[in-house]
Amino acid sequence: MKLQHHLGGIENLGPVSTETRVFVEPWERRIFGIHTAMMAESAHLSNALHAYPVKDLPTSFKNDWTWASLRTGAEDMQPFEYFKYRYYEKWLGGISQFFVDQGYISAEELSEKTAYFRANPDAALPEKPNEAISAQIDAYLQKGDSGAHALDGEARFKAGETVRIADPDAVDHTRLPGYLRSKSGVVDLVYPGAFSYFVSTGPDGIGKPMPVYRIAFDAADIWGPGKSETQTTIYADLYETYILSSS
Amino acid sequence: MTDLFQFPDDREASSAAKVRALEALLIEKGVIGSDSVDAVLEHFETMAGPFNGAKIVARAWVDPSFKQRLVADTPTAIAELELPKGMAGAEGEHMAAVANDAGVHNLIICTLCSCYPWPVLGLPPYWYKDPVFRARGVREPRAVLKEFGVEVPATKEVKVWDSSAQIRWFVVPERPANTDHLNEAELAALVTPESMMGVALVAPPATP
Repeated sequence: MKLQHHLGGIENLGPVSTETRVFVEPWERRIFGIHTAMMAESAHLSNALHAYPVKDLPTSFKNDWTWASLRTGAEDMQPFEYFKYRYYEKWLGGISQFFVDQGYISAEELSEKTAYFRANPDAALPEKPNEAISAQIDAYLQKGDSGAHALDGEARFKAGETVRIADPDAVDHTRLPGYLRSKSGVVDLVYPGAFSYFVSTGPDGIGKPMPVYRIAFDAADIWGPGKSETQTTIYADLYETYILSSS
Repeated sequence: MTDLFQFPDDREASSAAKVRALEALLIEKGVIGSDSVDAVLEHFETMAGPFNGAKIVARAWVDPSFKQRLVADTPTAIAELELPKGMAGAEGEHMAAVANDAGVHNLIICTLCSCYPWPVLGLPPYWYKDPVFRARGVREPRAVLKEFGVEVPATKEVKVWDSSAQIRWFVVPERPANTDHLNEAELAALVTPESMMGVALVAPPATP
């Protein structure tokens, strides 16, 4: 049971942050840009809905890199570190480690270069613009990476049906919020079509195209009678594999 | 919450140097261009941002039938407006709007990570990405809203939308009082990203 999959519902964490800035330090913008460029160059995009020509892109990046990659890395962190480090600190740790693990850079190179920029914070970056990559970044941001597919067969559940949420084996990544496991809800909407996920999550069950449902939960049915705010409904969009028949 | 942890004094300087080193190495090795990161950031200056959402909300306020279409089929309604290219692009491939009204207050959340409707709102603010909001928003939304300065009357239903699959939700907040004299652009100027995710109401204009 990974903490990061069960954040919803944890109590006693103190007040929420009301910080409205996206980035609180200038350096955070750069790791955001690196992550997004990686997503725009991801090898899997050749087979995406828009069939981007990434095979021909003049880049040495030959991996898949999707939201699943980033999320899985964050979900893999020791839970206390997950709370300790800020959002973009987690990204910087995960992404730099990815490049070392995949052999693009060595740990020594990274630490030497880091020491250089600590001593020379305003030293220039290399000047090597890449128009083709910039064009692909624009194309990816404008057209996106939808997992929509035509539905092969029929959706198992119908709008208005009472359902029970599954409790699959916990693995490294999921799109099932932990607080919904084994809870009872009502199908509010059957989304048309089917949706794939970026990776197969193995025993967790998502990956291949399948229907997605909007499920409505009475807060009391999740947290227990008398243990929730009244007149509160929680909606979650759940892949079909996360839903069981009530009967 | 971060008072619980200790950090080195050079926390930010270390991260700044590390990310600069990473970017330099990635450029040197041809993973990205020296203009790639700026190309990403530029998109969020001009193409994707809350300036889009604010226009959509303002139109919904002045045109009730547009508001109905927006809630019924969000991408099709958005396409009616003159907005930048890419409104169905990254993290907006499947957007859905929900409207606040006299009976309902909507709150958007991503308990698993930070899924956010990029084309209409740009990038998520810190409060939305924070684990404390992600934990408490589904557990005690009214208490959380109170910390944001929003009091939801007991008679109103609260609907919390957890963005756990393909949909990227956003809120059409209620039009504030004393705005009959404002044009669409002036209405749009009142709309904050927080109001479009449900942790703020739109404040009436300051009386001159």
